[in-house]
Amino acid sequence: MEGTEQWKVQVEQLKVQMEQWLEQGLEFVHQIPPIQLYVGVGVLLFTTLLLLFTRLFKRRKSNTIVLSGLSGSGKTILFYQLRDGSSHQGTVTSMEPNEGTFVLHSEIAKKDKLKPVHLVDVPGHSRLRAKLDDFLPQAAGVVFVVDALDFLPNCRAASEYLYDILTNASVVKKKIPVLILCNKTDKVTAHTKEFINRQMEKEIDKLRVSRSAISAADIANDFTLGIPGKAFSFTQCHNKVAVAEASGLTGEVSEVEQFIRENVKF
Amino acid sequence: MLEQLLIFTRGGLILWTCKELGNALRGSPIDTLIRSCLLEERSGAASYNYDAPGAAYTLKWTFHNELGLVFVAVYQRILHLLYVDDLLAMVKQGFSEIYDPKRMVYDDFDETFRQLRMEAEARTNELKKTKQVGKPLNNARKQGQDQKTGFGENKKSNSGLADDGDAERTKGHKLENGYSNGNHVIESKLTAVVNGKENTSSNVGAFDVNKLQKLRSKGGKKTDPVANKGSKEEPKKKVTKKNRVWDEKPTEAKLDFTDPVGENGDNNIDVLAADQGQSMMDKEEVFSSDSEDEEDEEGDKGSKPDAKKKGWFSSMFQSISGKASLDKADLEPALKALKDRLMTKNVAEEIAEKLCESVAASLEGKKLASFTRISSTVQAAMEEALVRILTPRRSIDILRDVHAAKEQKKPYVVVFVGVNGVGKSTNLAKVAYWLLQHKVSVMMAACDTFRSGAVEQLRTHARRLQIPIFEKGYEKDPAVVAKEAIQEASRNGSDVVLVDTAGRMQDNEPLMRALSKLINLNSPDLVLFVGEALVGNDAVDQLSKFNQKLADLSTSPEPRLIDGILLTKFDTIDDKVGAALSMVYISGAPVMFVGCGQSYTDLKKLNVKSIVKTLIK
Repeated sequence: MEGTEQWKVQVEQLKVQMEQWLEQGLEFVHQIPPIQLYVGVGVLLFTTLLLLFTRLFKRRKSNTIVLSGLSGSGKTILFYQLRDGSSHQGTVTSMEPNEGTFVLHSEIAKKDKLKPVHLVDVPGHSRLRAKLDDFLPQAAGVVFVVDALDFLPNCRAASEYLYDILTNASVVKKKIPVLILCNKTDKVTAHTKEFINRQMEKEIDKLRVSRSAISAADIANDFTLGIPGKAFSFTQCHNKVAVAEASGLTGEVSEVEQFIRENVKF
Repeated sequence: MLEQLLIFTRGGLILWTCKELGNALRGSPIDTLIRSCLLEERSGAASYNYDAPGAAYTLKWTFHNELGLVFVAVYQRILHLLYVDDLLAMVKQGFSEIYDPKRMVYDDFDETFRQLRMEAEARTNELKKTKQVGKPLNNARKQGQDQKTGFGENKKSNSGLADDGDAERTKGHKLENGYSNGNHVIESKLTAVVNGKENTSSNVGAFDVNKLQKLRSKGGKKTDPVANKGSKEEPKKKVTKKNRVWDEKPTEAKLDFTDPVGENGDNNIDVLAADQGQSMMDKEEVFSSDSEDEEDEEGDKGSKPDAKKKGWFSSMFQSISGKASLDKADLEPALKALKDRLMTKNVAEEIAEKLCESVAASLEGKKLASFTRISSTVQAAMEEALVRILTPRRSIDILRDVHAAKEQKKPYVVVFVGVNGVGKSTNLAKVAYWLLQHKVSVMMAACDTFRSGAVEQLRTHARRLQIPIFEKGYEKDPAVVAKEAIQEASRNGSDVVLVDTAGRMQDNEPLMRALSKLINLNSPDLVLFVGEALVGNDAVDQLSKFNQKLADLSTSPEPRLIDGILLTKFDTIDDKVGAALSMVYISGAPVMFVGCGQSYTDLKKLNVKSIVKTLIK
């Protein structure tokens, strides 16, 4: 009982003190000329609104482009081609993602101010694929690199990977455009992009059947592709899926640059 | 001679190669190293052997974790270059001084490298001289290295070495190791008395990395038995069960009361298990997050004593300011705690050890971010490593494979193998049930022609699921039975053939031979190893021996190994899920199914995230 009594007394004291402070504060405010007060409040409001807007603005227009694809398809080379315009001394299998925010190499010479691109090269090794999920939600576009030279043996693996990307929750919801990029087309024996397009559509059509069977178990794949009962084609996707050709080694990457510029606005 | 020395970033960009060496490497040793060694959490090992047609390289590497650089040296395996370790360390130091993330060309490093190499070579020469004059006994490290490199020796001509600096030394050793291995082993045993501990540990490291690779590659077959000889002392474990008596033949009459009429269970068994509901393979799992949180706290408490040792204030200060860079001594206590925790979760000791080494290698020299403790950094790194290991390397979409086989008008053959009593037949039935639900026609093949009652057991399952079963009674060659079953399946248009085999201990030579014959004769699409989750250290032994026996006993140059794992009795182990990790790490094969109960529906997929959580917490 005594404890509560004491406590009450303390609270009373505090109350009194607070009231005093409030009075002092009010007096202080009254002393300041009203114009100054308005200006102060105005500035405060303006800055908060500005911050809010920039935050919203930024979120809506992400500038992240994700490079994905199987290991050995040439993502890292492409990354450095876009950044530096050179493949340096070659690459080995990546163990970590390459990331960078820069103005594309070919556009540095241009006069007009361009928005830098945030480019991410996600390793293709299947053990490191989980990393892709970190980047997809903020992506403005996905470049899926396919090895056109060594395509047929890797067709199934590549299609499975592409299927996973196309059914990824954030890709479907945000309709992130995907560019299937046939790399290494400088070689004579490389397959054409039409051929690769066709083969991958066929493969994904088959995958649709087997994956829809286990999709309930797979938490990652909540979405199904295409229209049931019809052969799958990339045009059925809700997001834009395009096919293009490039050669990372010789620096023939204009179609990728075009894709990036379409999706990362100035 | 050094074949090549590369410096590249973890992102994969080559920064510098030694141009004056300039030898074009045959095959792609670097990519193979990264894919099958560094990314498989085997970077704690000392070296890696690369085999390709016309090339046998040994690779050594070191990391600069703070700058994210990797240094790799490649040399011909027949040469024992002792200066490589020193050279790598020196190159690492020299290069990290001039490294700048924005710079891409380091031509001026050529000169520095030349000097470093001369220095390293001179130092080893000196070391060698003093050793020759001094004691005849080699030190432990040298011994280990010799042994390692000695194993892989193909019979290559010596002439290539003649002009080399180390030629004399290597030649001498070649005679010792390469050709008279018995001698060498005895010698290493002698030294082992003096400094056994170091020696054995280096042996194990080299042995296991090789093992997996060699099993997969053709060239390894010859050298494997030799590798065994050297390091057999350690992996030998107690054989828990006695070998089966082979020649005791039970009487025919007793065995063959298998006539289908006599089975009284026939009427009261509910005909199809369709009413048992969906297989758990297809159900989403719901995790209770509360229990995990609880465990989280518990885990934190467990790791606290290490931090406390240094005093509350200093550790607090350290965590706020962020430590300059981690070294081995800092990581030691945290790693030890983590290793113990893994071992309490039933991870095989050998594997916990190797994982910790690999995590240490990836963290050493890294900067500790502010507001983090060492233990949490180590834990995060371990978590990442575990996820990487358990994530399947190949697709485990069996249905897709089944459909692909269907298109080729071939039945998809799955062989279930494993030791006795792990639940092969039971889980075969579960898989059959799951496949049936997805409108795949299944046939069972009773190739356990050995254990009494095995065929009846399978027949009962077949009747309940209403699927055809192929059986030929007992005392038949299982390989032949399987062959006939597959023929039968392609005749009647079954999509999948599930082959049940007899359980066998991994040390039972005649039974393993029979299994190898079955697999080679029928070349199944999937060899599924059935292992129980209860197993501890023996998991490593089982899987590695199965793999090795399949490779050794196979007559074809491309032996079939285990493709996937079915983990059974998962409901009985609570949080001791370590067997999953042990098995996946040692075999490199993914866990395709998890059996977790008694009914047909109790078949699940492995949830990597929950396993990792359970292991770490």
